[in-house]
Amino acid sequence: MVLDNMEKNSLASLQKTMMGYLLKGETIIEKSIVKQGNVSNKTRLNIYKNAYQARLKEVIDNDHPILGMYLGDDLFDEMVSGYIDYSPSNCTSLRDYANQLPLFLTKQKPFSLHPIISEIAQFERLLLDAFDAEDAKRYTKDELQKLSPSDWLALTFRFHPSVQLTSFEWNCVESWQALKKETAPDPAIKQTNNWLLWRNPQRLTQFRSLNEEEVLLIRMILNGENFSVLCEYLYNRTTDQDVSVLALNYINSWLDDGILRSFA
Amino acid sequence: MWVVLLVRNDQRGGDLSSAVNNALPEHFLGFGLGLRTDHFQEVIDTKPTVDWFEVVSENFMVNGGKPKHYLHSIRELYPMVMHGVSLSIGSTDPLNKAYLNQLKVLVNELQPEWVSDHLCWTGAHQVNSHDLLPMPYNNEALNHIVDRISHVQDYLGQPILMENVSSYITYVESEMTEWEFLNEVAKRSGCYILLDINNIYVSARNHNFSAQDYLNGIDKDKVRQFHLAGHTDYGDYVIDTHDHDVADPVWTLYKAALQRFGLMSTMIERDDNIPPLQDLITELNIAKRIAQDTLNYGVR
Repeated sequence: MVLDNMEKNSLASLQKTMMGYLLKGETIIEKSIVKQGNVSNKTRLNIYKNAYQARLKEVIDNDHPILGMYLGDDLFDEMVSGYIDYSPSNCTSLRDYANQLPLFLTKQKPFSLHPIISEIAQFERLLLDAFDAEDAKRYTKDELQKLSPSDWLALTFRFHPSVQLTSFEWNCVESWQALKKETAPDPAIKQTNNWLLWRNPQRLTQFRSLNEEEVLLIRMILNGENFSVLCEYLYNRTTDQDVSVLALNYINSWLDDGILRSFA
Repeated sequence: MWVVLLVRNDQRGGDLSSAVNNALPEHFLGFGLGLRTDHFQEVIDTKPTVDWFEVVSENFMVNGGKPKHYLHSIRELYPMVMHGVSLSIGSTDPLNKAYLNQLKVLVNELQPEWVSDHLCWTGAHQVNSHDLLPMPYNNEALNHIVDRISHVQDYLGQPILMENVSSYITYVESEMTEWEFLNEVAKRSGCYILLDINNIYVSARNHNFSAQDYLNGIDKDKVRQFHLAGHTDYGDYVIDTHDHDVADPVWTLYKAALQRFGLMSTMIERDDNIPPLQDLITELNIAKRIAQDTLNYGVR
């Protein structure tokens, strides 16, 4: 096995040339491979290159099943191939490999010409984030009922770590839902819309749309505002409803969804 | 350890209790499976007769949710070992401290019987190929890997196991055989060896060496675990796909490995094309039966 008459590389140099082959198809590594049997060095190296690309494609395929349906096979393959070139993995877990996919889709034609494509990718990444976000005990109605009246005004809610608040400019979620039900999505329509995603107590990811008022309340909570500030906001924008009833309706809905984090 | 194991198997109607009169090796866990997402719920519901599970460490380096929920539920029922794919022990990049920290956190959570990874490199210059790339087998690589394994073992506070990988290329830089290299790594670093029997077969076919020479070249007291898996045979070469049943030549090699190393904690590692759990248990029972027949231990 010792081949004294051949040029030897340091370990660092060898690894650099192998990565050059995998990422850019540079063939200098072929000089470092011993010829063995009937199988050419090109075939041997191709096993690694094919595995590299197939593995990354499988990750994107698994993470973005509905995006794949939206694009169709040819465009999906074009996207995967472009993303593999654009974003070599620097993560230890494949779970994170496609994190930059939505950004890539905003930059790369033809995908960038259809902003809804990036938004569908972003929606699917947020679902993944909700799926395996940190666990935390949830706030319950029992816990709330134990509060004294004086506790209420200073009460500052916190959200479960899986909660994601997001807004889109296109009908990406409706398109995602249509494809999930294996029906044709409507044409892309520009429409600002807000969504809440989270993992429910049964560990299933859920999402629902939000009106402007609820978005602002959630943002206030995320900014650390307490209950009295939330009520003041509702008071200023409400003319015909009891603010306390309105506030309690929101809180009950959040408790039912399981999106508030316990203080315990 | 094995006393606890015997009680567990009694509870699930296993057959290792009948081996009590035989001298089981100190580190023998029995016969295990790789824990796969498809089987999480069934494992909890049916508590199958499997002695232990191996989990891929990186799959559980997440903050929470279903993966962690199932992991901890199943850990309460079975012994576990952790098997990583991203340590990249042979890379010339610095050891990834963030990864090592995640690994240690998971070790503390799970308290596995042991932790393993692969004798390979997975990337360089901060790019991860997510593949198990072979090392050149020479002194530079040997010194490099021994230093890094020592560092990892110090950090984790325990010896780790290094697994042989399947390979398709041999570098001109290699100066020794793979088994000489692996053995020397274990001897100098104090780590143990996870022998993947399928990988030995695959590499032996691809590089035209004797799989038996490989087995004979490994120190008996360094091996702690066997992997069994399937591959795809293309005639002139073999690709390690881990997506088929264990092939007949690998069963034959497993028997030879048992004859050399004795009774060994053994698991079936299926990574793709995952069959029903019962199919894997049936395949695992073949491994048990071969061990019983080869070593004349066990069932009365």
